[in-house]
Amino acid sequence: MRKKRLSIAAAAALLLGLTACGDNGGSSDEIAIGAVHPLSGPLAGVGGMMNDGAELAVDDINAAGGIKSIHGAKLTLMDGDSEGSAAVGQTEARRLVSDGAVALIGTYQSDVTENVAAMAERSDVPLVIDVAIDDKILSHGYKYVFRIQPNASTMGASGAEVLSQIGKATGQDVTKVSYMHIEGAFGESTYQAFRKEAEKQGIQVVRNVSYPATNFSDATTAVTQALSGDPDVLVVSGYYPDNLLIAEAVKAINPNIKAVFGIASGAYDDTSFPSDGGAAANGVLSANYHYSATSKRAQDIRKRFQEKYGRPMETAAMLSYQAVEVIAAGLEKSGSNDPVALQNAIANIRIDDTLLEFKGPIEFDDKGENKNATVIVTQVQKGRIEQVFPEEFATSDLIFPARDH
Amino acid sequence: MSKTTNFSPEQTSAHPPLLKRRQTRIILATIAVAVLLVAGVYLLGGQPTRLVNQALISGVLLGGVYALVSLGLTLIFGVLHIVNFAQGAMLTLSMYTVFMLSTQAGLNPYLAAVLTIPIMFAFGWAFQAGIMNRVMGDTSHERPLLVTLGLSLLIINGLLMAFGGRPAAVESPLAGSISLFGTLVDRPRLIACLGALVVGALLTLVLRKTPLGLAIRAVAANDTGAALVGVNVKRIYAMTFGLGAVCVAVAGGLMAPFTSLIPTAGEQFTTLAFVIVVLGGLGSIPGALVGGLIVGLVQTVGSLYLPGGGSLLLVFVLFLLVLFLRPQGLFGAKQ
Amino acid sequence: MVKILIFAIMAVGWNIMSGYGGMFSFGHAAFFGIGAYSVAYLLSAHGLNPWFGMLFGAMLAAIVGTVFAFLCLRYKLEGSYFALATFAFAQMFFLLTENLEFLNRTEGINIPILQDDSWLMMQFHPTSYNYYWIGLFLLVAAVAVSIWFVHSRPGRFTTAIRDDEVAAESLGIAVLRHRLITVALSCAITAIAGGFYTQYYMFVGPNQGFGMQVSVDAIVPAVIGGVGTIWGPLIGAVVVGGLSETIADLVRNPPAGLEFLQGLSGLDVAIYAILLIIIVVFLPKGIYGTIRERLRK
Repeated sequence: MRKKRLSIAAAAALLLGLTACGDNGGSSDEIAIGAVHPLSGPLAGVGGMMNDGAELAVDDINAAGGIKSIHGAKLTLMDGDSEGSAAVGQTEARRLVSDGAVALIGTYQSDVTENVAAMAERSDVPLVIDVAIDDKILSHGYKYVFRIQPNASTMGASGAEVLSQIGKATGQDVTKVSYMHIEGAFGESTYQAFRKEAEKQGIQVVRNVSYPATNFSDATTAVTQALSGDPDVLVVSGYYPDNLLIAEAVKAINPNIKAVFGIASGAYDDTSFPSDGGAAANGVLSANYHYSATSKRAQDIRKRFQEKYGRPMETAAMLSYQAVEVIAAGLEKSGSNDPVALQNAIANIRIDDTLLEFKGPIEFDDKGENKNATVIVTQVQKGRIEQVFPEEFATSDLIFPARDH
Repeated sequence: MSKTTNFSPEQTSAHPPLLKRRQTRIILATIAVAVLLVAGVYLLGGQPTRLVNQALISGVLLGGVYALVSLGLTLIFGVLHIVNFAQGAMLTLSMYTVFMLSTQAGLNPYLAAVLTIPIMFAFGWAFQAGIMNRVMGDTSHERPLLVTLGLSLLIINGLLMAFGGRPAAVESPLAGSISLFGTLVDRPRLIACLGALVVGALLTLVLRKTPLGLAIRAVAANDTGAALVGVNVKRIYAMTFGLGAVCVAVAGGLMAPFTSLIPTAGEQFTTLAFVIVVLGGLGSIPGALVGGLIVGLVQTVGSLYLPGGGSLLLVFVLFLLVLFLRPQGLFGAKQ
Repeated sequence: MVKILIFAIMAVGWNIMSGYGGMFSFGHAAFFGIGAYSVAYLLSAHGLNPWFGMLFGAMLAAIVGTVFAFLCLRYKLEGSYFALATFAFAQMFFLLTENLEFLNRTEGINIPILQDDSWLMMQFHPTSYNYYWIGLFLLVAAVAVSIWFVHSRPGRFTTAIRDDEVAAESLGIAVLRHRLITVALSCAITAIAGGFYTQYYMFVGPNQGFGMQVSVDAIVPAVIGGVGTIWGPLIGAVVVGGLSETIADLVRNPPAGLEFLQGLSGLDVAIYAILLIIIVVFLPKGIYGTIRERLRK
């Protein structure tokens, strides 16, 4: 356990740091939140969008009167560019903290988040993870790190659960699946959790194919390998380009399977997937955390995002928006801009009106995971991403078997 | 260094055979080893035959794509002796050019690829004439390397500023696949593979039959000597880089239809292209083709046994072995 | 600042092998990664003190580097071939780490976080100046070693071999042995930089240890500052670090009239790339090397 004396000392040191930095957002009527995302490099597209999401949240909160318990203090967003690299991400996070950020959000990539989390913990500044899936980040017993989205093993397990429910609901046999996942912690832990839960549900994994994260420019062989077990459904976990290749290879091979089912797939619930994938995208299912298409508030935010930034707001950006809201709620609750008090407030927070389709309010367990984070199933139908399962979140009817031959 | 390239002066005779006898022997030996290995995979590999078929076909197609990217590099590396780090970025640049021409001007992507050729030639020529020629000449390797590295950063981030990082796609009118022995042959990939052969053949023709080719080979073999007999070496450098960029343009054009276009899309090919060029022999066109094929096959067939990046490790082990045992590469001239 | 120090130590290490030794390495990530992973693994799995971990990493890197260089020299790899061999070597380490269970594969290794500052375990509050002092100390030591080396007998022999191998050999200098000494020293210094990296960032993964970017990071400061000079790598590191920092700041808060450039992703790196090209093209011997040459004239 962290000694209290020590945290007071640390807070004092930090406050000294703040006053030393003077004009950079240290004054009490402006509270700075640091955002670390990949604003350049291969992930610049999604990183920039997430930063925009956070910016929109800050603007909305300020427009609604700022943090009322701190005399209507306004929020400012300081952005840091991780360039997709863990070392740069941490350096940026250090800069933001020494420039007076009371909390951080970020960072999209698991290894960068791991680095920033270690820094945040050592500096006693809360980090609210918007996107980063690896279980390991919160396995060190960090106190200052929180995650809104479900972690990899939760996603794998709930993926298996909803897949089995879909089979039962539609009266289709789903007993054999093949699993394709990207190499690395994310793919591996999602797969392991999926297999464990699938076995409980009476689903057998007949083939498991892992493919490399780099130099993967043709999926035909890997897909053929996965299909050689004659599965009912092909389950896929990975990022955008590789998952797109897999969907296209499935379309080309045209096997006798009922569906392509993504779990935490970077492509299958992305709004550019239906047009990029064309016919290959049609009917593809995806179990993933997802912005709430049934919430009026989320719809309004998405509409304004589109107007302001000229592109659709994907789930990742909604999570950044949500992360800023969590911090704002924490500030509201603690009534001060002290990071240590903020940590305590966020650890005990409860946010009911979530912007994502979760099974309950946002509440953090003692590891810092959101207790009610879960996945829902979307499907590509007529060139659009529709929420199809569970029924309470559905915007359209589930089509299963999902492939026409 | 210059002695190790494949543009040896004896090839300048009036009617050189397409392949020399020694090269034929190497090709035969390579094929024999490959056949043995493939037979081993079929008989002892414990994988379904159809899967091995597919792995072989995909491997050949992938190898064709690699060869296509490596052709430009073998020329640049073989003649100018510079490690061109911007190879992948130039590839991306040509893909985005094709993307622009086909979506903005509504051109057929293959027609757009043809239009990309003069653009990339001018780009390559200007880069070499304007910048690279200033940092060459001494024996240091680090300056040209850093300049190409800078160019690569510049292209990637320039594209990022212009197009953003969201993946873009080029629609091919010929998308789809044909089936062959129960396996799938993706049509755009097949076209790219054939493209590699055509580019290889054309490049050989240019080098063998034109005055420009003669000058390039002279510079590659001995630049001081070439300068003495009146060749404008710097001009030849620029032309060579331009030609290399043309190969990259064709590669980009043919690959755009099956690539998720992001500003770093070409990067993964830079490393492998170097492996292939050294494997095949500096400046050797058949070397780049065979090298590409070998790497493609090792990667695809290897992935049946080694999950994830394990098959890439195989590629690098092979690379080091070749470097140690036959540093001039499979088709390189003896030192 | 600490990042600049790490770059500088790496560049000093690289400069010994490639600047003074004339063996162009494009794979110093291999040795940096060995240092970084030695500290991370020994500390997290066996609780070994990071100072010892650093020493161990340096020794391991020196041994690995020597064996590899021996192979390269034995098979007479030179110039671009040598550079590509070192490059492939680093890539192999990268792929190997990604596939080794005890190094946590692609996930990398976290340093256990302490609650108190500790000199013994080299861990402090992230904004502490102690990291800076340690880095500075290591850098001064590295520079001292390289000054000593350049003026020692083996060092002079090494530069003689670089300038004319045949002449050196005919004078009875043991070419292979001196080259290997140079490589070992260079690798050890680079590994120290890696070990310090792990302690400062509290995490290392395959990309941070063995990625291609790391090899580039070792080369750029040395070339910008001046290859084969004592002070070149230092000046280069300060210029490169300062430059990228200034540009990033400028893009974050652009001057009046250029506000539309704010937050345009990629701009800072693009400007940096242009400046890099300009420096390399117009200062052939690097900043320090060129100035020194002018002064001598």
